[in-house]
Amino acid sequence: MTHTRTIRLTVNGTTRQVRAEPGHTLLDLLRDDLELTGTKACCLVGECGACTVSMNGRIVDSCLVLAAEADGAEVTTIEAVAAGGGLDPLQQAFLDSGAVQCGYCTPGQVMAARDLLARVPHPSVAQIQEAMAGNLCRCGCYRQITEAVQAAAAAVDR
Amino acid sequence: MNGIVGASAQRAGGRARVTGAQRYLGDIHLPGLLHAKLVTLDCAHARIRSVDTSAARRVPGVALVLSAADLPQPVPRFGPQYRDRPVLATGETKYHGEPVAAVAAQTQDAAEEAARLVRVDYDELPAVCSLAAALAPDAPLVADPALRPGDPLAGTNVLHEHRYGWGDVTAARSDLVVAGRYTFPMVTHFAIERHAFIAAPDGDGIRIWSTIQHPYWLQRIIAELLHLPLAKVQVLAPDLGGGFGGKQHAKYEPLVALMALRSGRPVRLLLTLEETFQAVRRTSAEVHVRTGFRADGSITFREVDADYLLGAYADIADRVVGKGSYTSCGPYRVPAARILARSVLSHTPPATAFRGFGSPQVLWAGESNMNEAARALGLDPLELRLRNLPRRGEVFIPGDKPADGQWDQTIRKTAELIGWGSPLPPGRGRGLALGLKSGPTTGLSYATVRLLADGSVVMSAGTSDMGQGARTVYAQLVSDELGVPMDRITLIMGDTAAVCYDQQTSASRSTVLMGNAVLQACREIQAKVKAMAVRLYQVGETDVDVAHGLVRLPGRKVPVTDILGPGLGPLGGEVIGNGESRKEAEPGHPLSGSAAFYEFNCTAVEAEVDTGTGDVALARYATVSDVGRAINPLQVRGQDEGAAVQGLGHTLMEHYVLAEDGRIRNLGAIDYRIPTSMDLPAELYSDVVENADGPGPYGSKGMSEGALLAVAPAVAAAVTDATGAVVRDLPLSPENVWRALTQRALTQRALTQRALTQRALTQRACTADGDLMKEMRDESHSES
Amino acid sequence: MQGFGYERPHALARAVALLQAHGSQAVLLAGGTDLIVGLRERRLRPAVVVDIKHVAGLEPSITRAGGLVRITADTVLTDVAADQCVRSNFPALAQAAAVIGTVQIRNRATLAGNICNASPAADTAPPLLVYQAQVVAYGPGGTRRIPIDGFFAGPGLTTLAPDEVVTAIELPVPGPHAGSAFGRLSRRRGADLATVSVSAYVDGDGATRLGFGAVGPRPILIADHSGQLADPAGRADMLARLVRTASPISDVRASREYRMSMLAELSQRVLDAATGRRAEGGRR
Repeated sequence: MTHTRTIRLTVNGTTRQVRAEPGHTLLDLLRDDLELTGTKACCLVGECGACTVSMNGRIVDSCLVLAAEADGAEVTTIEAVAAGGGLDPLQQAFLDSGAVQCGYCTPGQVMAARDLLARVPHPSVAQIQEAMAGNLCRCGCYRQITEAVQAAAAAVDR
Repeated sequence: MNGIVGASAQRAGGRARVTGAQRYLGDIHLPGLLHAKLVTLDCAHARIRSVDTSAARRVPGVALVLSAADLPQPVPRFGPQYRDRPVLATGETKYHGEPVAAVAAQTQDAAEEAARLVRVDYDELPAVCSLAAALAPDAPLVADPALRPGDPLAGTNVLHEHRYGWGDVTAARSDLVVAGRYTFPMVTHFAIERHAFIAAPDGDGIRIWSTIQHPYWLQRIIAELLHLPLAKVQVLAPDLGGGFGGKQHAKYEPLVALMALRSGRPVRLLLTLEETFQAVRRTSAEVHVRTGFRADGSITFREVDADYLLGAYADIADRVVGKGSYTSCGPYRVPAARILARSVLSHTPPATAFRGFGSPQVLWAGESNMNEAARALGLDPLELRLRNLPRRGEVFIPGDKPADGQWDQTIRKTAELIGWGSPLPPGRGRGLALGLKSGPTTGLSYATVRLLADGSVVMSAGTSDMGQGARTVYAQLVSDELGVPMDRITLIMGDTAAVCYDQQTSASRSTVLMGNAVLQACREIQAKVKAMAVRLYQVGETDVDVAHGLVRLPGRKVPVTDILGPGLGPLGGEVIGNGESRKEAEPGHPLSGSAAFYEFNCTAVEAEVDTGTGDVALARYATVSDVGRAINPLQVRGQDEGAAVQGLGHTLMEHYVLAEDGRIRNLGAIDYRIPTSMDLPAELYSDVVENADGPGPYGSKGMSEGALLAVAPAVAAAVTDATGAVVRDLPLSPENVWRALTQRALTQRALTQRALTQRALTQRACTADGDLMKEMRDESHSES
Repeated sequence: MQGFGYERPHALARAVALLQAHGSQAVLLAGGTDLIVGLRERRLRPAVVVDIKHVAGLEPSITRAGGLVRITADTVLTDVAADQCVRSNFPALAQAAAVIGTVQIRNRATLAGNICNASPAADTAPPLLVYQAQVVAYGPGGTRRIPIDGFFAGPGLTTLAPDEVVTAIELPVPGPHAGSAFGRLSRRRGADLATVSVSAYVDGDGATRLGFGAVGPRPILIADHSGQLADPAGRADMLARLVRTASPISDVRASREYRMSMLAELSQRVLDAATGRRAEGGRR
């Protein structure tokens, strides 16, 4: 309790001031303090990617970032991806390819895919699979997710 | 049909899932919520001497600390098959992770701190955590014999024996008998959404939120536990983030319910991923199979002795054993059979349902056995299957449901996809296996469809949508039947107070059972609309037909939406349809009923093995299922390919690692590996056979488990084809394959030596490599 | 995780002062991918976490000055794996950095953190050993350079003093005719901890350095000047002897037996790759 500190960070374009509990992670901060529940919690050890967000321009597992570390950071979560009411082409591609079953891993998958396409606009299958290896899907949608990323990459050309 | 059924309609709720808007149970927040934490011991089996909660209670923010002593006495027990599981461990903990106490506090941090301060004084006891240990004559008993009165097996860890069979296996005359012992590992569901439960007092009743696949079953359990009428127990079941069977039955809801009533506040328990591994798993198994063949490959008999390892409490796992082993002869004509399957208790986390429900274990053995026989007989494994395959309508389990599909089509389609018979690149092997599983044997589903005044629809169905896409399928059915666009249909699910009874979501039943109920409800609406039209247009009944949103009258067609207004009149209202789909139990049937349908699948694999390291690379993978009718092809494909990927888990990498004392050593995601995107086969093909020969809407059958059933034996067969090494113990991890390769090299060297020193081998039933090696090992010991 | 203080020093001296003040009750935080897991599992229960990502002079950078490449303490693995200078001069290190964890992990985990965590299975250790890296550390007594093969003391232990901070890792640029490679085995294709890892460096004269990971309490460095290891036809016996000096354990990932066998198998492959690279014209 004595180590709680007030931090300031930008989340989805808006500056927020939050009291960060020691031992709380960025994931806790997003979900509990800011009520942005789109980012999910699962393994809490940086293996499953359900908690993937973009921090200072790179995707990270938010379960492995202390809330205090995020002081001064710029964070983007799944809630910011859909542009004003519509769907990002990548999100639409996920739906069209059948890459969503239970949907629990989907926010993390979308964040990872979005990051990949920003860095590598036309990734090969091998590149996609390697880039997305940090996002587990127990429903087993990997083939469909790969197709969705390819479709989204192709859509940019048109 | 107007094209919605059979089209890949976009997933209902898909938009919410890709935007992060979908609210799973863990996303729900209630005012005044208390956070719960379980207290567990770091051992598999212990006698509890005392539980001291005083320090825990003093942590600021703690509202409640419960141990068995604080519960109603005797401590209530529950379970879907046997009432064996206590709400909290009583006197003993029987598996690594069984809760001894629970804390509820204002914050998660306070709850965790308090949980650490609960002092449990205990003596560690010997634990049986394997079949061998549990079946040893002097093994400690997992279940108190007093809880098994009148049970002749009460003095053992065998919970139940299931015996099936027909004909006389001893009288069978075979040219070849192939036998082997196979093991299937302990694996866990690892849904990405962890189990979560909330309970809140609600006036004179209670409200429960749970990641539960069977809300109505849970409702009954809670009502009994709390001595409440069903009407005062509301179970809310948000769409799950994956279930796969691991969320079918009550786990900690009874505990959380008691905590809510005791504290007067809502209480929430979220399991950590590690805790889910300690809460649910698949039954592991050791299966001995012996099959007799004539030289032409036709089966003369099969014997199966399957021991399944359950956890400390039965959950639904004895049913898993009974049902899975019932079809352990596979989809074949077997003139004589003897099956003995035993459910064996152990000091391990309770095994429960898991996609495949006991069939993957026996198919691992049975299909591997078929592949070994093919090699021994010099027959093509595909030909061997076709030779023994029953035709549609042919009885293959005496007195029971005949084969309900043209299964050879599935096999041929798979062969085409994989290129069966085509030349293989060097170093690559090819294998094939079949999967068979019984669908639901009993069932009851109610559906309600409400056609509102403007032609839009609200419908309710008690199915749980855990990703298999039930919502979408029902919307498609309604859309097609009533001619209502998909985006004008709202589905209410997951609320026992608002939605009528559905027995359960399991056994791939929902498209068939609930689907039929939905159709029935639509037909009732159509009948009422027809009556409206008769009244409005003053025509005879035979002059009106209502279908797909159109009212056909003599000389014209009127959209249903046009007659709703005048039809309903100035008071407005809606047109309500109810449907009921019922499959009654059949007394005397060993499974309480024959299957509504069978799931049938063929899987074929091409694999390359790095013989230096044992690493298996899947070059090509084909899976085909017999589905009757694909209501939503995109979803069907996702289910089958998803099942294949999930099956690669237990095939190639998943297994619990237990310490000598029974503690689980690989809890959590770092040391329990499930397939990632990089583990996809290089080429993955799937297809379906649709002959409209199922009992569901438009001739559909249930699907979604079939494609998991044969993954392991198909991959293993490909590995054997590539290397000659036979592996009978899953997973085919690099190390396990390497061991098999090393053994094989040793065997081959020894075989060569033996052939040189011995002239004639005595004629006997041929057993495959493993047993041959055992003989040789025995002989070499006697020589030295 | 239990309550702890969080400090974010902006000066190296301040970071060191914090370590001096709190002793064993302070831990350094860079990427956090190991530390946070340790905190969550309560293996680590510090009073203070010192975040060094904002310390002047430690900012991420990879620079070459003369014959030395310097990778600062806050440089993440993503950048180590992608950097052109690293890829052309130290391909084994780039390879190792690229297989650790996942994209998300590599975007946070630092090279310095990987070696300071000192897991016997640290993937970057075998390459750093064969490249003869030096660990630059700063403490109350000033700066010193620790040769990497004197850095690892045991599982989770380094020879750093409790009040020292690693500021950079320096690697001498290999000669023009050297070849190097890295390989590892794991339980699945996706992210995993190494079951066994090997790195090899062969110079123009055939002198070979071999690094073994995950087969003993510390990563192992072996140097051979005879040229035998560099010779595919002549290395088997010597390799077999060297492999026997390793002492892998059986754990949840693999058995001792498998590790020993794979060490030999992997060493052959990695040596082939290194000598192959040398034949191609050095370094890459």
